[in-house]
Amino acid sequence: MGSLPITEPVLLILLSLVQQPRHGYAILRDTKEMSDGRVQLSTGTLYGALGRLLDEGWIERFKEEDSSRGRQAYRLTSLGKRNLHLEVSRLKQLTRVAVLRVARRET
Amino acid sequence: MLPLYRSLLYLYPVPYRYEYGEEMMAVLSEVHAEIGNKSVLLRMLFGTHEVGGLLYGAFQEHLRSITGRSAMFSPRRFKMHSEFRFPKATVTLMTIILVAILVAIDRAKAIQASIPYANPQVGAIKAAEFAALPTLLIALLGACVAGVVGWAILFALRRSGIHRLSEIGPSSGRSSSSRLRS
Repeated sequence: MGSLPITEPVLLILLSLVQQPRHGYAILRDTKEMSDGRVQLSTGTLYGALGRLLDEGWIERFKEEDSSRGRQAYRLTSLGKRNLHLEVSRLKQLTRVAVLRVARRET
Repeated sequence: MLPLYRSLLYLYPVPYRYEYGEEMMAVLSEVHAEIGNKSVLLRMLFGTHEVGGLLYGAFQEHLRSITGRSAMFSPRRFKMHSEFRFPKATVTLMTIILVAILVAIDRAKAIQASIPYANPQVGAIKAAEFAALPTLLIALLGACVAGVVGWAILFALRRSGIHRLSEIGPSSGRSSSSRLRS
């Protein structure tokens, strides 16, 4: 998979969409909440990332049916889910190694 | 701030603006409403953050439309940073430049409105007689002839040089070197 690893804001956006589809503002709030306020995406950055994820086919855009305003929402595609799982596995392995190395150094 | 955000959206490529412009404005309105009751300083910081994001986003989109590349998935971009960071001074400077441009446009419009249209009326445009054309053509022809003659001389010199070199055999080279040694 040539497109991995991915940046932290993109990872947070993907994690935000893994449970349910969300619209732009909900993604902004969720990424901020997940990172305890550390990652505060601006609207320009968010839509830049969403545009590229759409181009790569990791997410798809659709009109919310239950919304009175008919807002556009985003959800993960099967490719996006697979890549997210790959990235999480990679991070898990990296964290395991990091924990082991740090523990060994401290003992 | 919302009119400023809307005007910044015009910096994006047109297809992108048509696709996401209204949606981005809706998000900006929601975010703006959320921070409406915060202090002035916080609102200013937030505004700068959004302006910086929009400017950077517009730059990225233009870059992507030119190169067709996405920098997001590049392994070199993998840093545990919240997002792409550039010095805060850059954001301030960009904001100042933007404000200066907007002020300059306003001033220019005011000056344009205050000065009446005073250009003299231009009459019918007559066809100019170009008297120097034959002279130019003769000069051009002369330059071409000189070029051809020069090329012929160089060609002749080169040909004769090659013939002379082919006449010099390896034995004659050796004899000349022995002559030098003696």
